[in-house]
Amino acid sequence: MSAGSIDRRGFLVTTAVVGGGMALGLSAQAAVPGAQSVPWGPDAAFGAEFSPWIEIAPDDVITVRVPTPECGNGAMSQAAMNVAEELDCDWSKLRVAFASYSRDFAEKGVYNTGFLSFFSGHSTSKLRLQKTLQLGASARERLKMAAAARWGVPATEITTANSVLTHAPTGRKLRYGEVAAQAANAGLLTEPELKPQSQWTLLGKKSPPKLNIPDITHGSAVYGIDVKLPGMVHAALMQCPVHGGKLKSHDPAKVLKMPGVRAVVVIDPAKTVGAKGKTASTFGFADSLCQSGVAVIADHYWQAHKALAALPVEWDFGAGAGWKDAEAVYTAARAKRDLGKGQVIRKLGDVGAATGKRSVEGDYSTPYGENAALEPLNATALVTADSAEVWAPTQDMSQAFWVTVDETGLPPDKVSLHQTFIGGAFGRRGQGDDVRMAVAVARQFPGKPVKVIWSREETFRQGRYRTPVVTKMHAVLDDATGLPQAVTGDVGYAGSRALFHMPLGFSDMPWFNNGVIPNVRLTSSAVPVNVLNGAFRGPCYNSHAFVVESFIDECSQVAGIDPLEYRLKLLAGWDKSWSDCLRSAARGIGWGKALPSGEGLGIAISCWPVANAHNSGTVVACAARVSVSKAGDIKVMQLDTAFDCGRIANPDAVRAQIEGATLFGMSVCLGEELTIKDGMIAETNFDQYPIARMADCPQINVHFDALSGHERLEIIGEAAVGPVQPAIGNAISAATGKRLRQTPFRKADLRWD
Amino acid sequence: MAKVRFKVNGKLQTVDADGDTPLLWVLRDHLGLTGTKYGCGIAQCGACTVHMNGAAVRSCQVPLESLGGADLTTIEGLAGNGGGKLQALWFDMNVPQCGYCQAGMLMAASDLLRQHPKPSDDQIDAFMSNICRCGTYPRIKAAIKRAAGVSA
Repeated sequence: MSAGSIDRRGFLVTTAVVGGGMALGLSAQAAVPGAQSVPWGPDAAFGAEFSPWIEIAPDDVITVRVPTPECGNGAMSQAAMNVAEELDCDWSKLRVAFASYSRDFAEKGVYNTGFLSFFSGHSTSKLRLQKTLQLGASARERLKMAAAARWGVPATEITTANSVLTHAPTGRKLRYGEVAAQAANAGLLTEPELKPQSQWTLLGKKSPPKLNIPDITHGSAVYGIDVKLPGMVHAALMQCPVHGGKLKSHDPAKVLKMPGVRAVVVIDPAKTVGAKGKTASTFGFADSLCQSGVAVIADHYWQAHKALAALPVEWDFGAGAGWKDAEAVYTAARAKRDLGKGQVIRKLGDVGAATGKRSVEGDYSTPYGENAALEPLNATALVTADSAEVWAPTQDMSQAFWVTVDETGLPPDKVSLHQTFIGGAFGRRGQGDDVRMAVAVARQFPGKPVKVIWSREETFRQGRYRTPVVTKMHAVLDDATGLPQAVTGDVGYAGSRALFHMPLGFSDMPWFNNGVIPNVRLTSSAVPVNVLNGAFRGPCYNSHAFVVESFIDECSQVAGIDPLEYRLKLLAGWDKSWSDCLRSAARGIGWGKALPSGEGLGIAISCWPVANAHNSGTVVACAARVSVSKAGDIKVMQLDTAFDCGRIANPDAVRAQIEGATLFGMSVCLGEELTIKDGMIAETNFDQYPIARMADCPQINVHFDALSGHERLEIIGEAAVGPVQPAIGNAISAATGKRLRQTPFRKADLRWD
Repeated sequence: MAKVRFKVNGKLQTVDADGDTPLLWVLRDHLGLTGTKYGCGIAQCGACTVHMNGAAVRSCQVPLESLGGADLTTIEGLAGNGGGKLQALWFDMNVPQCGYCQAGMLMAASDLLRQHPKPSDDQIDAFMSNICRCGTYPRIKAAIKRAAGVSA
């Protein structure tokens, strides 16, 4: 287990008595809550403000305000760690708080730094890292100046460590909190230089647990669904189950007298007011629009839920109801794809020029999938005639803020957004459609905070699902080498939302870019479908990786070359770290060893978000050991993952993300599939949509020995979702001789004797 | 409507609400104890797990009218009911990611250890049927084993 291999004890004194009943770790954390769990208040002051990002209180508590919300990846704690690297502060007195988007708006971008400034991730991207390190360095130097003034000594004679300033020649000491007020007002003539990476003592070296964990384990962390406000009422929501349909009729009189019921309101997409001036939302509004629906507002959620179930409702389903089942959607996507009129997204050489005698062909597909964050969709809104206030577990503060402006038509300075913790997102909480629906409900019950909760069934029915892909691949193999001389690939997407027809993991794979395969032609097409597609942890990449790496495996089988060797040949001249990842994962799984019948090994590799440039993205290789029983039951026994994201900031946080993404990908490819019945999603809860549980977990080994040390600290949350799926499929092929070209694998008949 | 008296985290409570209101919503909406989470409403995910008379139950399936005289412990009371060791390990081993399922996981784990102080892998797998979408299962299992003092 990772935690045992990393020495946190010199770093976190709080762990010293773990295991001894009431842990000091928790009592210390309780004295200084590690994360602001009641997120609202007008950017509350915690101490002397050094910058909008940092405050230091007289008791030495340092608060770092973070614009990137915490969805489980440690984005907030990472920002604090970056600051602490230069600030030389006592980690046990460091806390994080949500930054205020309103303040960013009023003060013209004080939190706006680098790519996706308000999105829950990218905390070690180049600009963000530089900014947060500089904030720490700047605060440290100003603390020195204040101490120097008090002691009448040169600032250069003062050293800092663990939130204490020391003047060694005279032995005097001051705590940060004792000079914070003066230091906050001190100005620096020039910004201090940052330490070189080689002198980092925290980043890359230590693995502090996330600061909000004590709040989580004691039930005090406030997620969106936990928001409590004076006078708050609760709404249960139902939108047209066929996306794009409309409410035809309903009969509020039947439920208005039920206990606790206050109102029944209709949500009409045509009633969105629209922003009056310039907006700055992260993703625009196209994918955030209201759906036609109805909501019951009551004193308590259960009352609203029961009344909604009793409410007579009729829908005009519209054209979407014409999709009889999911197969009809995939058939249409294949038909469109096979017209040969797709957009060419990658062309190299001339695929018609290949002369090899052996060819390989496969038609692959992945289905609709639900993000299934464990916190159901929800948001709380208080709308009055001239203001709106929203509390939401949004993945992107800027998006949620501007969607509220757009839905209400209010001026941005009359809108405020309060971030909460996020009970999982995986792409579902980025576009702000949830926030917009909550605001649309609350607008019709003005003056009261309304908490709008999607039931689990509603969350399933109103997804913005994994975009299905249907992809045909064809290769001609060179007679002498067995490597492809030419590859054609035609991908068809199902769904109208073009933002989520992403080619990442497909046309940018080194196989199709490094010249080892001289002739390549890849195309892309899409069919419009009423069922709304969207972001799903590594959008489309999570499907493409399955397609491409299953296909490469098939090529190796036809060529009669070991799949690992085959990939290493294809990587000739490409970044060494790709080969290192493959070799490390293969070593971990025991590549090449003899196995009992019914067992097999598989391997695969992919990279997110950019694979076709050198030293870019996070490369992940996964090797799988799988057994298939005679009855055809699949058991994933072991998964070994090796990766290269350049460098890492918090080793254990990286390990946790790779473990989680690996299990996510495993769950997706083994069992997850949504189907359609007459235009609506058929599966509406976890009994119909099997997500991997404890008993499904294999041994997971995450290997750090392929890290290249390149200067980037790439994003880590998505990449590992890709290769695990083809690795398992390839292992099933090795175990049974059966090639699975569709997920979920558990639908396939794998019986043998 | 039903007026029901029961104990939560050692404190006597009286709740007057519809008799079919699930304990989950009684805790969250009527008593303000939002540490217990709504995940599915059909006893599939376990996010709503609490202890009722000492044993783990999925509170979305327990109606208010059945609670008379019950003794309940929620995540807010776990530390005072022998859960501090698990909570400390959850921190030390960096178990949670988004954290939403973890209240239910901790409540289930503490009942597992009550019933099986030295649980086998199979016992952990069978008992810990809660869903975690972030994939923290390996760390949960390791933390349970460390708490029980059995080898990983």
